[in-house]
Amino acid sequence: MKAFLDRACDLMRQAGATYGDIRIREDRKQEVNVKDGRPEHVATERFAGFGVRVIVDGAWGFFGTHRLEESQIEPAVRQAVAIAKASASLPHTPVALAPLEPAVGTYVTPHQIDPFAVPLEEKLALLAAATKAMRGPNLKLAQAFASAYWAHQHFASTEGARIEQTIIQTGGGIAATAIAAGDLQVRSYPNSFRGNFATGGWEYVRAMHLLEEAPRVAEEAEALLAAPPCPEGRRTLILDGGQLALQVHESCGHPIELDRVLGMELSYAGDSFLTLNKLDAFTYGSPHVNIVADATAPGGLGTFGWDDEGVPAQRTPIVEAGRFVGYLSSRETAPAIGRTSSGAMRASGWHRIPLIRMTNVNLLPGSAGRLEDLIADTDDGLLLATNKSWSIDNKRLNFQFAAEMCREIKGGKLGQLYKNATYTGITPEFWGACDAVCGPEAWALWGTPNCGKGEPSQTARVGHGVAPARFRNVQVGVRA
Amino acid sequence: MTSSASLPAAPFTERKAKLLEIGSGLVKAGGADEIEVVFIEGRSYLTRFSRNHIHQNVGTEEIAAVIRVVVGKRLGVATASSLAPEALAGAREEAVAIARASDPVDDWPGLPPPRPVEPLDAYDAATAEASAELRAQMAGAIILAARGKRGEAAGAVEVEEGTVAVASSTGVAVAGSSTRAEVRTVVTCGDGSGYAEGLSSRVGDIDARSIGRRAARKAADSRNPQPLAPGRYDVILEPSATAEWLEFLSYIAFSGKNFDEGRSPFSGRLGQRVTGEAVTILDAPRDLRGLPQAFDYEGMPTERLTLIQRGVAKAVGTNYYRARRLGKRRSTGHGLPASTSYECLPLHLFMKGGDSNLERMIRETKRGLLITRFHYTNILDPMKTVLTGMTRDGTFLVENGEVVGPVKNLRYTENVLEALGRIDGLSRRLVAAKGPCIVPALRIRDVQFTGATEF
Repeated sequence: MKAFLDRACDLMRQAGATYGDIRIREDRKQEVNVKDGRPEHVATERFAGFGVRVIVDGAWGFFGTHRLEESQIEPAVRQAVAIAKASASLPHTPVALAPLEPAVGTYVTPHQIDPFAVPLEEKLALLAAATKAMRGPNLKLAQAFASAYWAHQHFASTEGARIEQTIIQTGGGIAATAIAAGDLQVRSYPNSFRGNFATGGWEYVRAMHLLEEAPRVAEEAEALLAAPPCPEGRRTLILDGGQLALQVHESCGHPIELDRVLGMELSYAGDSFLTLNKLDAFTYGSPHVNIVADATAPGGLGTFGWDDEGVPAQRTPIVEAGRFVGYLSSRETAPAIGRTSSGAMRASGWHRIPLIRMTNVNLLPGSAGRLEDLIADTDDGLLLATNKSWSIDNKRLNFQFAAEMCREIKGGKLGQLYKNATYTGITPEFWGACDAVCGPEAWALWGTPNCGKGEPSQTARVGHGVAPARFRNVQVGVRA
Repeated sequence: MTSSASLPAAPFTERKAKLLEIGSGLVKAGGADEIEVVFIEGRSYLTRFSRNHIHQNVGTEEIAAVIRVVVGKRLGVATASSLAPEALAGAREEAVAIARASDPVDDWPGLPPPRPVEPLDAYDAATAEASAELRAQMAGAIILAARGKRGEAAGAVEVEEGTVAVASSTGVAVAGSSTRAEVRTVVTCGDGSGYAEGLSSRVGDIDARSIGRRAARKAADSRNPQPLAPGRYDVILEPSATAEWLEFLSYIAFSGKNFDEGRSPFSGRLGQRVTGEAVTILDAPRDLRGLPQAFDYEGMPTERLTLIQRGVAKAVGTNYYRARRLGKRRSTGHGLPASTSYECLPLHLFMKGGDSNLERMIRETKRGLLITRFHYTNILDPMKTVLTGMTRDGTFLVENGEVVGPVKNLRYTENVLEALGRIDGLSRRLVAAKGPCIVPALRIRDVQFTGATEF
């Protein structure tokens, strides 16, 4: 492997690259879907290849190939260099990378049980039992999911970095779908869209107790069918962990990506309202709001040793007591704010360039105790649980999100169940209305396994640590 | 390092033959009661630009070998990214191990038997050979157009060539090659922005300068947008906006799997009116104006499928398994690779046009909105086809038959099938838009806007 990496770096230098890196990566993926007690879709994937990225004449070029052979290094470098030269053929400001001490090291995700070593029969038995435990007169679909990802990567740069890294990610969950009279309601656990995810092994799924939770999930799906729609109005909201993780993802995680701020994603996902002039000078939220991007958080879905530029994992302050203080950045973009990279460059595989991606963008715990304490402290409001739908504008200001389940809070107690609850707002106004965040005892990490960005498109798996939080005077439902 | 069997670099006809040879060899080697091998290989190049320079520029060559096996009605699927015999054999063994661990699918009908596939001319050598220099020139033409309006261009020029080959133990053995070229741009002029796009299987069909000019003109026209209160407005949807609604409709309503599971708004409603008479939507995978595809990922021939005819739900797209479950003898040719759990989906949507045009629709609008495209659409209620999303890159107020000026972007929340029932104008001209979809511009009464943003 060393010879492969060295050869690529030598060829990139010889071809005139002022910077170059190579990532040789193998990926394994296993998805197990069970429906109504039977395997519905069980599939594995193995992908391997390498990609070389160069700066020539001050511009980027990249080429990746599945032909993982030494004879393919030279053609791949030649292609990347030709592409870079074409980039440089239009007027441009030469790319300047933030300085970095080249790293040499290894990292393996801490885990107890290799999810790929767990017999498929055991996974199927657990998931089938969970689906069989979800029953109800209108329950049309009982589903259970398990996912496992393994990525092994060698990274080398012309600056001398040599990093070997193995990331293991595991996830699982259940979902009950009740359908009657033209209405469809889904209830999920522990999160929607295939469950929850973390870096770690199969022990993470075992600890979910899917079988034990299944009857409640089914009952709630049935109850939602019979529940009235959530009334429209301005209300106090408490968001549970899953819903709040999505809120952080969409309204904080994306707008703090410095490539978006600099217009690099403008034509696709959009840019950001958090323009450069707002750094250290903008009130993002209330004093209760403290957010960090932390790639070192144990178990976070966005936890690693180094990013895909060889920058070490780090914890970057983003919002301090409501004040906006930091971005997710790369070596190319960090100089725009006079800083070094925050270590957020991640690629979805050997075939894609790294982009600025969320690591674990975490809302730090407050002092409002457990969720039960926060409910008890709320005289009149709504509790929204588990995300169902999300949409936000291309600067990440106007959002509208929907939750699977809504419970009214009256006099500090949970009451009426509602379905089809949506809420909408403008990002800094919404976070400015946050008046309580639960404490460390309620704080948990949530995994978002389907974060899309970039052209060609890439899907990243990122994390969000949150404790339930309360927001005042939020528009609930549609006001046309 | 692993070794890999190599594919001929050119011509593509040899690649098709080689893939079929490898696939047929794997099928003949057996190891399961039934076996299907799908190769998806290709080279894709994408030049991305922002703020009037190229900032990302990438090329890849990729291959996926999706192997589906059946052992006594038990199914397993495994994918490898190599043609190396040991990698393919490994994937087959993994698929067999999955099948042996699984329960039988009692109503498994077997893999589909072969059907004749009429070849398509979907491959353009000029597109396959498009160089990095050509892509840079096309980006440069857009940037020049943006500069002409003192604007900045962002966007992408993308070209791709690929081959799909399907071989199975029932005798399916088909292969086809295709090319794709897409150009899209957002031009900004201060606080104004405009979008334009082009799509074809032939890069020569795409006029980057014209796309740049359209986006730049729209960006210049949309400077200084004024706030507009949410409410109900008549709208004129340009084709990119129409296409986004159609794509979501396909995902929600036109999937044979969702239909079979009772999760489609068409479930139990085929033959019933679901929207207005003006609405006829087809899947047209062989239409050369889009990105044609001669067969699906089960090797079944594609054909036009009427999904909604004059407002009446007519059909959903199926693979062979769903077709048989739904009592049909043959699939509609909408099978997806077995590596995805979605199973089947119409991917080449076509909406029938009318006799109007954009200018006439504007002239006939007393007060309404001209919408270039939508952003971040998502599903609120699949059974009622309620979607929400934002407008983006050119939203204009129309009053008394004239565009009077740009407005800040709005959020819609709307039952799309109901909204399509209020169409009162469709353009005669159809445009290939992202998806791919071939769609008209639409005029729709009383679309519900539920929020506004600050730009």
